[in-house]
Amino acid sequence: MKIWGYILWATVAVSTGILVLLGYFVDNPAIHNVRLLILQWATILAAVALFLGLANLWSVHWKKVSDQEKGWPYSAVLMLFFIVTLAIGLVFGPDCPIVANLFNYIQLPVEASLMALLMVALVVAGFRMATQRRDVVSMMFVGTAIIVLLGYSPWVIGGNGFVPETMGYLRVWLTQVWSAAGARGILIGVALGSITTGLRILLAVDRPYGD
Amino acid sequence: MSKEPILGLAALILFIGLMILFTITRKRWPVALRSIKGFEALGIAIERAVEAGKRVHLSLGSGSVIGSDSAAAFAGLSVLRRVASATILSDKPAIVTTGDGAMTMLAQDTLRTSYQQARVADRYRPVMARMLGPTPFSYVANMPDVLANNDVAVHILNGSFGSEGALAAAFGESEGLFVLGGADDVRSQAILYATAGHPLIGEEVFAGGAYLNAGPMHRASLQAQDIVRILVVAFILIGTLLRTLGVGQ
Repeated sequence: MKIWGYILWATVAVSTGILVLLGYFVDNPAIHNVRLLILQWATILAAVALFLGLANLWSVHWKKVSDQEKGWPYSAVLMLFFIVTLAIGLVFGPDCPIVANLFNYIQLPVEASLMALLMVALVVAGFRMATQRRDVVSMMFVGTAIIVLLGYSPWVIGGNGFVPETMGYLRVWLTQVWSAAGARGILIGVALGSITTGLRILLAVDRPYGD
Repeated sequence: MSKEPILGLAALILFIGLMILFTITRKRWPVALRSIKGFEALGIAIERAVEAGKRVHLSLGSGSVIGSDSAAAFAGLSVLRRVASATILSDKPAIVTTGDGAMTMLAQDTLRTSYQQARVADRYRPVMARMLGPTPFSYVANMPDVLANNDVAVHILNGSFGSEGALAAAFGESEGLFVLGGADDVRSQAILYATAGHPLIGEEVFAGGAYLNAGPMHRASLQAQDIVRILVVAFILIGTLLRTLGVGQ
């Protein structure tokens, strides 16, 4: 019985994948329409899955609060604001000013402050890299970052003379030649990796939907 | 019919053909994978975590199932299967976090299957796979709590990350964890190189399955990638040479 379930899920996943893929390569209106229909279904299912994900988020924090685990007051605050925001959104609609204010004055500043924290994290990581990871590649990474940062400084951009001009030239040379070439090489590798990952799912070798 | 779809279809057929060919011929022509320090160290780090009664945390990032950013997270699911198998009988089994509802469900299915295959389905709990937050920064804002309060020793980032990936790695480093970081985005890879103790570069983020012995097709797909990469490089060099000689201008 279990093997039939496995064959059924794999068949549905593989045939759906092949139909969507064919829609990109075969210029046939019927296949094209089927591809669009399946993609619409996928979008709707992803939206439903978001609700299930939020239910999962709720259950994790509910467990933390009910078991009084370490840090449970934070979970309680999260659950409180979860209910408040959801209730306001459901009663007044997503376009109401209260929801917009919650987003603009709570979520946006918090996310912006995390972005600022990212800058601090990068500086600390750069320092740690220079002091702890003493291999050639790491030294080149830190050295290049310092040259490019100096190359963007007002001293170089607005300055005249041999040193500022050389620094400006170095910055352009590093970012437009070495960095661009390296990024393209990495992009080719990522694209090839993405293709093989997709093909393994299409061939039912990888089955993220379970067995 | 224009040339591009035919070329695309031909490339896909070439890929599938090479993957099947290398899977069939794997015993006749065995292949040695090049060393990726991160994956080599990961196996040891997982063993140590299991022995020490610590947990492995896998982050699949904030990418969604639909969209171009899903591939890295799907590669992360292959890693999850192997990590789950390695830690299933531990006191502290692996946990996985995502920033997308659908990806959470896929992670739950992957974990459930691993537990069923190990015949310990009763030990599986749905909260082992968690959605931390629906936006990239809300996802990463919840991560310190997960790392600090779950006895995590190994922190794997294998998925789709933007700049928030650097924070996710930095949180792990500040806790003194083993951090393996890989993303599909070039800029994220650059900042993960600086912040993660064991960064993955380029297509290495997709190679986890092959290095963790997820199956012969994973190794075969790496070989197929290498062959196609050589072809792409050859085409680029030939094109550059022809342009330099003035052909096609």
